[in-house]
Amino acid sequence: MTAEGPRGAVPRGNGGAAAPAPIVRTEGLTVRFGGLTALNNVSIAVPSGEIRGIIGPNGAGKSTFFNCLTGVLKPTSGRILFNGEDIAGLAPHTISRKAIARSYQITNILPGATVLENVRIAVQSRHHNWSMLRHHRAYADVVDRACAVLADVGLAGKETELAVNLSHGEQRNLEVGIALATEPRLLCLDEPTAGMSVAETHATVELIRRIARDLTILIVEHDMEVVMGLAHTITVLNYGEVLAEGTPAQIQANLRVQEVYLKT
Amino acid sequence: MTTAPAARRTPSAVGYRIGLTVVLALLALAPLVLPPFWQRFVTEILIWGLLAMSSDILIGYTGMVSFGHSAFFGLGMYGAAAALLTVKPPDLWLAGLYGLVGAGVVAAFVAYFATRLRDIYFAISTLVFSQIFYVIIFTWTEVTGGENGLTFSQPRLSLLGLGSDRFTPVTLHWFVLAVVTLSYLLIRRILQSPFGKVLESIRENEARTRAIGYHIERYKIVAVMLSGLCAGLAGVLYAIQNKFAAPDFVFFTVSGEVVIFNVMGGMGTLVGPFAGAAFFLLLREGLSRFLTEYYLIPLGMIFVAIVIFLPQGLLGFLRRRLNQ
Repeated sequence: MTAEGPRGAVPRGNGGAAAPAPIVRTEGLTVRFGGLTALNNVSIAVPSGEIRGIIGPNGAGKSTFFNCLTGVLKPTSGRILFNGEDIAGLAPHTISRKAIARSYQITNILPGATVLENVRIAVQSRHHNWSMLRHHRAYADVVDRACAVLADVGLAGKETELAVNLSHGEQRNLEVGIALATEPRLLCLDEPTAGMSVAETHATVELIRRIARDLTILIVEHDMEVVMGLAHTITVLNYGEVLAEGTPAQIQANLRVQEVYLKT
Repeated sequence: MTTAPAARRTPSAVGYRIGLTVVLALLALAPLVLPPFWQRFVTEILIWGLLAMSSDILIGYTGMVSFGHSAFFGLGMYGAAAALLTVKPPDLWLAGLYGLVGAGVVAAFVAYFATRLRDIYFAISTLVFSQIFYVIIFTWTEVTGGENGLTFSQPRLSLLGLGSDRFTPVTLHWFVLAVVTLSYLLIRRILQSPFGKVLESIRENEARTRAIGYHIERYKIVAVMLSGLCAGLAGVLYAIQNKFAAPDFVFFTVSGEVVIFNVMGGMGTLVGPFAGAAFFLLLREGLSRFLTEYYLIPLGMIFVAIVIFLPQGLLGFLRRRLNQ
């Protein structure tokens, strides 16, 4: 990669010399669906350990951005560098094994499996040497780790319940638990508090703060209070382009952002 | 619910063992007390039960509905026929080997496409494949005997080094029971293993299973191969019992019956489809005695009733306990 930044390179909020190396960086990321440009030349760099908020009106390209990062969509052009390696267009399972995980805007769990199994199967994907002739529970380390993750996301005691029977808020936390169980270094959270009550939202914010100590988080969120409270830096997308980037205070003060987004 | 997973497991595991032992004991004693017709019939139920279980691996556990199990079954049958007709003296274990190779080839074929297709597209493609094999077998008269099929003599029961003997209906039944039981225990163990849990995860949510790092295609290929080989084994047993191979058994209606066994008995339980096969075959036998060719009418009505009133199938209520 060359030092020359693509056109429309993002103005960095904090002057860059001392900033840690980015764990993930996109260069000119573009996705077109036929005539529609969902992402246009998006270049973002997220330093390791940061909580990065991604906001923007509906259709701004936030979920498309996550889909590219996690391999669900192959970008039309541009690169996605994760720890310096281009991962654009790799299969989702390959990207997962490179330690990128995501939770989904619409709850995406194994409804007919127990809560424990939802997380256990995710833990298992990081343990390779298993036999087809041993009972899955014989791998006690996998079960223990899954229980620990469930405790982390506040679902201890719910292990034997079917995932489908959990409340909405609990399912959202299970969603995060599944992602965490794959031991990610980059976690993409797509509206983790969508549809939650105030109390549940509060608990989830605390959870995200806690897990953020060990990993980098990208969070798409419509609840401004949540995202402004959590994120170190916020990137605003509009019509698939980066409209602004900066600290929560800078974003709130930005007139262009207010015009397209915050005023509503 | 406050009971810990470990506490829940023990009583139901004991219950399972007792239940399995009782059923096996009854099946082992059955030929000693039944008249010859029902002796044969029970042996046949075991064979169809194995076929039903094999398809449950795909339908019930992985969520891939196969309408092509007749092809695996049929190729197992014709593979066994090939060994029994070409190798003198006919050898039991060679018949098994040839049959598994035959079924394995078809399974590899289907598995190749299984990685590309999902849902109804997968179901239809398995149906089309099985029909291709049906047409080949039906028309290639010089090799397969065409419409008439092949007849051959029964191999002797030889237990590696322990001498050999002619099959009697009772020893044949015990032999089939042993093969089916071992297959069941093996399939069950594989489905309880981490591998089997991935198959269930694919059934529950394929995209999410991929997203947490599983190469779905590989798992599906192994599942189809495993299912196809078990179905082929059922075909081998059928050939040995009946001393013939016929194209009718490769026809897609057989696949349809296998799906019905699954739905009736309870998908995703292994023993459910087995019970479904037994229930279906007994019902058909009983009804056809009174109603001759009209037996399908009440059979169909009973099937519809089960789908409406027992959507989980006859043993579906045991699903969670059986899969502990």
